Amino acid sequence: MKKTKNNNLGDRILIGLVFLFLYAPILILIIFSFNSGTSSSVWTGFSLHWYRELLNNRLILTSVYTTLMVSLLATIIATIAGTFAAIGFYSMRRKSRDALMAVNNIPMMNADIVTGVSLCLLFVAFFRGWGSIAGWINSIQSWFVLPNRLSLGFGTMLIAHVCFNIPYVILAVGPKLRQMDRNLIDAAQDLGCTWMQAFWKVVIPEIKPGVVSGALTAFTMSVDDFIISYFTAGSRTSTLAMTIYGMTKKRVSPQINAVSTLLFTTVLILLIIINIRESSMQKRAEKGTIRTKEPSRTARILRRVGAGALALALLVTLIVTGRAANARPEVNICSWGEYIDEELITQFEEETGIAVNYQTVESNEALYSLIEMGGADFDVIVPSDYMIARLIEEDMLAELNFDNIPNYKLIDDQYKNLSYDPENKYSVPYTWGTLGIIYNTTMVDEEITSWSAMFDPKYAGQVLMINNSRDALASALLYLGYDINTTDEAELRDAFRVLKDAKNAGVYQAFVMDQVFQKMEGGNAAIAMYYAGDYLTMLDNNEDLAFVVPDEGSNWFVDAMCVLKTSPHKAEAEAWINFIASTESNLANMDYIWYASPNAEALADYPRYYQDLYDEELDEEIYEIMAPGEDVLERCEIYENLPTKTLQLYNDLWNELGVSERSDSPPTGLIIVAVLLLLAILCAVFLRFNKRRRSQNNRKRVNR
Amino acid sequence: MSKELIRLHDLCMAFDDELVLDHINLCINDSEFLTLLGPSGCGKTTTLRIIGGFTTPTSGDVTFDGVRINDVPPHKRQINTVFQKYALFPHLDVFENIAFGLRIAKVPAREIEERVMEMLEVVSLKGFERRRVDQLSGGQQQRVAIARALVNRPKVLLLDEPLGALDLRLRKDMQIELKRIQQQMGITFIYVTHDQEEALTMSDTVVVMDKGRIQQVGSPEDIYNEPQNAFVADFIGESNILNGTMVRDGVVRMYRKEFPCVDGGFAPNEPVDVVIRPEDIDIVPVDQGQLAGTVTNVTFKGMQYDIIVDLGGFKWLVQTTDHSPVGSQVGVKIDPDGFHIMKKSEYSGMFGDYSSYSEEYEELADVSALEEEESGDEE
Repeated sequence: MKKTKNNNLGDRILIGLVFLFLYAPILILIIFSFNSGTSSSVWTGFSLHWYRELLNNRLILTSVYTTLMVSLLATIIATIAGTFAAIGFYSMRRKSRDALMAVNNIPMMNADIVTGVSLCLLFVAFFRGWGSIAGWINSIQSWFVLPNRLSLGFGTMLIAHVCFNIPYVILAVGPKLRQMDRNLIDAAQDLGCTWMQAFWKVVIPEIKPGVVSGALTAFTMSVDDFIISYFTAGSRTSTLAMTIYGMTKKRVSPQINAVSTLLFTTVLILLIIINIRESSMQKRAEKGTIRTKEPSRTARILRRVGAGALALALLVTLIVTGRAANARPEVNICSWGEYIDEELITQFEEETGIAVNYQTVESNEALYSLIEMGGADFDVIVPSDYMIARLIEEDMLAELNFDNIPNYKLIDDQYKNLSYDPENKYSVPYTWGTLGIIYNTTMVDEEITSWSAMFDPKYAGQVLMINNSRDALASALLYLGYDINTTDEAELRDAFRVLKDAKNAGVYQAFVMDQVFQKMEGGNAAIAMYYAGDYLTMLDNNEDLAFVVPDEGSNWFVDAMCVLKTSPHKAEAEAWINFIASTESNLANMDYIWYASPNAEALADYPRYYQDLYDEELDEEIYEIMAPGEDVLERCEIYENLPTKTLQLYNDLWNELGVSERSDSPPTGLIIVAVLLLLAILCAVFLRFNKRRRSQNNRKRVNR
Repeated sequence: MSKELIRLHDLCMAFDDELVLDHINLCINDSEFLTLLGPSGCGKTTTLRIIGGFTTPTSGDVTFDGVRINDVPPHKRQINTVFQKYALFPHLDVFENIAFGLRIAKVPAREIEERVMEMLEVVSLKGFERRRVDQLSGGQQQRVAIARALVNRPKVLLLDEPLGALDLRLRKDMQIELKRIQQQMGITFIYVTHDQEEALTMSDTVVVMDKGRIQQVGSPEDIYNEPQNAFVADFIGESNILNGTMVRDGVVRMYRKEFPCVDGGFAPNEPVDVVIRPEDIDIVPVDQGQLAGTVTNVTFKGMQYDIIVDLGGFKWLVQTTDHSPVGSQVGVKIDPDGFHIMKKSEYSGMFGDYSSYSEEYEELADVSALEEEESGDEE
């Protein structure tokens, strides 16, 4: 007896470990969503601050709305279509039904990415052909006018969601139909029902549990989906998952923790509802409980009225929002995550009545491929210097009409006519900054002034190299005293050798982008190279950090606003650029993202602005780092667009270095250990259970 | 007699080129208890579904009260159906199941209440109205199904093997119950079964079907006593069917002997099928018998013995109350009215030899032995 008890305890501990392993990440996420600080690794106190912030975050609220809308609509449509499809399958002959069921199951097994990409290709191909079809239809009749140009957006995403939801509904409804007596429909018709009446009065109540759980599954899948949405939503729409992904680009804001916590809770609640429903249904079926009373007439009427009202409300919201969205002029903006004070968007919308669709993308290269693929439909983009040069070269940007951008004159001449846009016809600077070394003064004894720190075996295992070929190689080029825009293969190979040797010597803890915040704030690494604005964010959470633009010089970069040649909203786009270029907008942005403004007045005025806002003086040093003076900038150079051959070399060297995109993930050894541990635990649990079952069986046999 | 209600005229039905109904002509009278009897796949259920309106015939007409109703959908026909597995609505209780048709017809609530209660009384289910249907026994569910159909006061009630799922005892009770309800309501019942005993017990008229064709229509007595061909003779009750020659009216020849009989109307020396019911045969000592043979098998059946007698290589089934040991030589004697003479048909030679019958017994014995073995394994 005692032994069994022990066993139980052991089992419980094991199960507990398994669950801990599974849920620890989520637990940490939930805990840190209540952190009062900005860090995701340093706990500074309990606060609901991020939830409050969340409610003020336009981008997130819009995407929550989009997510709910697309999920609800997709669920409704897929449930109706799937139910009827299941009924169709049901009345088919066995052979064709089995074949169709197999076809139905494929999309569920299929990798999301394949579904996403194929749907995207389909839509884009269709849109390409659409122009001529629409033109032809418009030419032969005048009843209605079809739009000439279609683009990816809410509609296409909705279609995609409906597509991947239908199989789940069919799968849920099918078994209920098969359980149903085939004669029920005949019986209802025999008793005076038309086919439709029979369907509503007999079939629907019979398969209702299946329909409901199908709908719930579909809804969960829809809310959950990222990949398929990512490929079909186009540039104007984004779901919550897409927004979170975009937010992770620059700075992992704890708002992500808050929103993920909410998302997790929602899905959890839905799953619990589904499970409770199913188990209670099973219980009822087993027991055959007596239903004591039919729901009273008034209750039934109330329920119907309630359902009707809900449906009506949904419909009205849809129509109203649809109207509003259609009627207003709009502008589609693509920028980096956490790269704007969102108050500005609201302000712009209020002032001009132009609706803003604000999207984010993770890198210049990703932005480029999005535009090139034709899936995106942006008006304004904010690429960095060298990418602007490339886009100009490939004739993808529209020349701006500076008459519409009077605020352009507020931009400091220093940031005009730069090498990437020598006649300044295409771009208006958004921010600028420098690349430098961030280090933890408690972990590094000396004052760092040279790029050599990035390659010094003294700091083995303490250094974070930036995970981006251009910046990484630039640091080595600078260290060697070469030009960062060199096209000389020998020089680049020298630089590569430096990096490679340092990597082999174990200098680098990891190659990182976003993880730099966590690691540096938490004191997990001593030295990293990153951008000045982001250093200031880290400083908020760890006062021991210091920033330096090394003596050898560095890169200084400009991100500028451009309008795509294909943009259908050029006037609105220019209105936006003008608005952002204003001194007020630049001040707000500077305060929010800590990147320096190209607006001379704003840059000069910022310390006063800061004082007014926070009632404390802006630290001179911080301002220095944010907007370095002439002495620093003299040492720095802007990136130029490199010739294709050199770009290829960069690519080859980077590959040779063996830094994959995800090399910042934990070392392979750790993963292997973790997996082995998990397997061991699972094995142990399995063996325990098996043994217990066998011993139980034995006991039974003995009893007999 | 009572007037004609339903007529099937030259009805054909084909599924994928397979002829399921082959030129069916049938007339059904008002207030009649008519049974469609036949083995599975004979087309009886299809016929029923055509009358109910669930299936549209490939060709031919269905008339109801003289009106062609081929294209009238089921819900507009004054016909209701009791389905094979009852097809009760699981999401409704007994009361609502019965009230279903009335609610669809928008009958006032008070009247619904009255009529449902009345029906519950007819099917002896008072007090069960708020039960869920899955809590009822098979027989109770059966009665709910009948009540649900009858409460609509149809002119015709179709019943598709309604007793098939019940055990023997309940089946016998329900047979009587159904006949009582039919007489009480005074409406036409069209009943489908493959159980010949059920058909003979309840029906006014029996329609024997096979291979999509009607083999014989008649009262139960006619069907039993004057089967029209070997199929009917074999399907209804037990029969020994032999080849014979009608020498002249009243005399039939088989086993190279002439026997007196009561049938006539055949051409001289016409080859015929001779049907002899097992209970019409007497076992007598060899010297007193018309024919002599060897007993090969004896089965005790309670009321009588089933004895298989080998008469010149043809095995006869004889039902008698006297026991004869296996292997003994016996004589058989048949009265003239024990012979039923039938014209030759496509079924001639297919039935009536009990050499296969005895094997059937063995097979049955084998099956039960197997079952015993299996259950033994489980223990």
